[in-house]
Amino acid sequence: MTATTVALQPAHVRPHRMQASSLWQFAVFFVVFLSVATPLLFLVLGSFSQARLPSEFSFHSLGLANYIKVWSDPGTYAVLSNTLWFAVGSTTFGIVVAAGLAWLVERTNIPGKIWIYAGVPMTLAMPGMLQSMAWVLLASPRIGFINKGLMDVFGFAAAPFNIYTMAGMIFIEGLRTVPTAFLMLVPLLRSMDPTLEEAAAMSGARPTSMLRKVTLALMLPGLLAVAIYQFTSALEEFEVAGILGLPAGIYVFSTKIYTVLHSTSSLPAYGEANALAMLYLFVAIGSMYMYSRVISKSERFTIITGKGYRPRLLRLNAWRWPAVGLVAIYLSLSTVIPFLALAYVSFLPYLQAPSAKAFAAMSWDNYETVFQTERMGLMVWNTFVMTVSVATAVVIMSFLISIIVVRSRFWGRKVLDQLAFLPHAIPGMVLGLALLWIFLQIDKLGVGLFGSLTSLIIAFTIGYISYGTRVMNAAVLQVHKDLEEAAKVSGAPPWRVFWRVFFPLLQPAFVGVWVWTVLHVVRSAGKPLILTGGGENEVLALVIWNMWDQGYIEAVGAIGTLLMLALFVITLVIRRFGFGRGPHIQEGR
Amino acid sequence: MIQISGLHVRYQSDHGEVHAVRGIDLAVKSGQFYTLLGPSGCGKTTTLRCLAGLEAATAGEISIAGTPVYSSSRRIVVPPHERDIGMVFQSYAIWPHMTVFENVAFPLREMRGRFSRAEIKKKVGQALHLVQLSGLEERPAPFLSGGQQQRLALARALVREPKVLLLDEPLSNLDARLREDTRLELRELVKRLGITTVYVTHDQLEALTMSDVVAVMNQGSILQEASPIEIYRAPKERFVANFIGLANFLDGHVSQAPNGSGLGMVETRSGSLSCTLSSTAKVGDAVTVMVRPEDIVLGTPGAAESGHNLLDGKVVAALFMGEAMEYQLELPDGTMMRLKLHASNVVARGDTVRIQLPPNQCRALMA
Repeated sequence: MTATTVALQPAHVRPHRMQASSLWQFAVFFVVFLSVATPLLFLVLGSFSQARLPSEFSFHSLGLANYIKVWSDPGTYAVLSNTLWFAVGSTTFGIVVAAGLAWLVERTNIPGKIWIYAGVPMTLAMPGMLQSMAWVLLASPRIGFINKGLMDVFGFAAAPFNIYTMAGMIFIEGLRTVPTAFLMLVPLLRSMDPTLEEAAAMSGARPTSMLRKVTLALMLPGLLAVAIYQFTSALEEFEVAGILGLPAGIYVFSTKIYTVLHSTSSLPAYGEANALAMLYLFVAIGSMYMYSRVISKSERFTIITGKGYRPRLLRLNAWRWPAVGLVAIYLSLSTVIPFLALAYVSFLPYLQAPSAKAFAAMSWDNYETVFQTERMGLMVWNTFVMTVSVATAVVIMSFLISIIVVRSRFWGRKVLDQLAFLPHAIPGMVLGLALLWIFLQIDKLGVGLFGSLTSLIIAFTIGYISYGTRVMNAAVLQVHKDLEEAAKVSGAPPWRVFWRVFFPLLQPAFVGVWVWTVLHVVRSAGKPLILTGGGENEVLALVIWNMWDQGYIEAVGAIGTLLMLALFVITLVIRRFGFGRGPHIQEGR
Repeated sequence: MIQISGLHVRYQSDHGEVHAVRGIDLAVKSGQFYTLLGPSGCGKTTTLRCLAGLEAATAGEISIAGTPVYSSSRRIVVPPHERDIGMVFQSYAIWPHMTVFENVAFPLREMRGRFSRAEIKKKVGQALHLVQLSGLEERPAPFLSGGQQQRLALARALVREPKVLLLDEPLSNLDARLREDTRLELRELVKRLGITTVYVTHDQLEALTMSDVVAVMNQGSILQEASPIEIYRAPKERFVANFIGLANFLDGHVSQAPNGSGLGMVETRSGSLSCTLSSTAKVGDAVTVMVRPEDIVLGTPGAAESGHNLLDGKVVAALFMGEAMEYQLELPDGTMMRLKLHASNVVARGDTVRIQLPPNQCRALMA
């Protein structure tokens, strides 16, 4: 990937000539500009293209036909309203749960806090695709174990739950929102000066009105920021909406674009997909814009003072165990039960509800089948190469971008920062679609990018640079500039400054971004589904999706169980690693 | 040892272009302790950072020990790591991921191959001994007190025995008492080592007590460069007089050109004053008369009308400062004067007193 050539730049610079040092900054700027602006350009151009295929694109065949078709289709409005319901519903549900959990661990004397701090973020390792599939096994009307069980016990005529509904989608996506929102809310609660609340108490406010008028009011900007952030993430969600919504014909933007491209009855309507993606993009960019507005406003609220406060803890008394029960219910619904359901299925010869007979018939056959599948080795290798390359490229690119944005006086640093953040507002499906156009144009020159593993690596790297740069910006800011300059005046050339000062001090950030990217890339099916060329660049997420589609549910269980175990282990190892070294990044005084 | 000429620094900030340094010329002799003094934002730190190579100058020439390290005309920029300098930062910039030993050894290790392990150990030991940190080698750097970190930063700057030592407000993060002791120690140390030192501070007391030469800066320019005594006694401009120590100012114009001993007459609102004038002053020039509060002499009201510059005034405020008393006097024309007297003088609020401004201590500054 281009990132590697850029990373080598600083070493080549001959420092004795004047502008030479900013040469690599131009290079980084150019690469980022190219990888963000070009996809957007092609997305716009493609939406006007009336050619049958992207490879037949020409400036003579532009027109409004795609837009007319999309806007005159009543289905589009249904998709718009579905998407909004889905995003608003899951955000609300997720944030209420996350806020409750955060409040319990930060402000009450609930027992077993360590388990909550460790357990809630563990859910992050759970791929949304597998979580949704597990819930299909549990609560679909036909095969759902829970439905079957309830019907047997209580004699219901019909299945009480149906996961293939908007409510089901909101439920699962809401559960998936919780860990991120929790991780964002805990510091918000922790950094609030408790004397502000105590002052309210001394002014005669009762606990309830204190909570409402002071605690909540102070947290509101932060809470709003978290909500909009989660809303944007939900807009982008493909796997949950795909597994649960598609069978029932409930489309959101991401799944609609996928369907338009993968229609079984007709040729893929690329232009139409682009026209649809434009609307989607506007909604996403709009919400991202609001997010940055809220963030800049909430920074004026100086509730975060950087001091480590030790707030008074509310004594739960008799409510302690009910509180623990609620936490336990969340953890089981989000992680434990789905995992057990998939693991259970993975041992079955054929799908059946749990019973003595089912347990007697269990075997390792599915695992054997999976391992003996032809090309399985290639797919695992592909997945490994892809995730490692993407994570490494994201770390390197983010570091270079952040160094320019935070440290330099490079003329384009502000624009660079915005450019790097923009992919966060571009839904993964849209970015995949935009890149598809570019790859097909490039392939006209005989390159063969489409359908290659490289195409996936490029697509994911662009998508995750926005997250990487946010983390890296904050981390680089924390390294006092003098620490770097002290090394320079001590005689260290630029690459030695990096090696001896930045690298050790930023190690937690490097590892954090790397792992986060691995966890996200390995489970994402949206971009691979759009950019797949069949065979050559098949990756695990795609295999799982296709197997599920074709009904090999037991095999999905086997692969899913192994994948989840691997992800849990990675998360656990890294949490130890990351948390042990965190507090050392401080200013150099 | 250090030569700077025509140095300009401009850069783009969020509020438009900043012209931080506007044509600075200075020369520091070998072994000299040279201080850049000025309020925040005057360009003193920017000048120092240009000297270190941390900041890109826009125009000018800088040379260290006869070697040009920056020249806009010849397009030379020597990067910081190739300049023979040591620097102490305001924040100390102690690397938190290294031990005390590793921090000091860093500059030596960067001269790859020049020193063996044993030599590095010896040199680090010497540097730490110099700043009285012997025995703390293996301690992680964050576990040092503020004063120890400051000395560690100094050891790291000195360990390579650079030709030039740059100090960027190194004392400003110490508490008052420690700062006082360190002032003396620091000057002693660099004088003993004979190292050329450029010191940046906004603290006039540090500048006066430590320096051989003080350059007072404001808005990107050097206003006056002189020994501490001359800067204090004979400031050339009102800004310099005001920035260093306290001063009273009386605006007026020259009514009598200076005589052989440099004394002339100035008409002010409060009366005509005999004062030291520059030899170029002509009758009618607008000037400001400066007199330090501690130079004013207390007379006896109603005593014989002898000598020049006698003024009567009413005490409107009296401040007890321990070793001295400071009074605010209101002259009949409404002008306020500050005077500082030994604490044994007892004057009460509301008293009318007669003061004398000794003509030798009154300096007329060209307005």
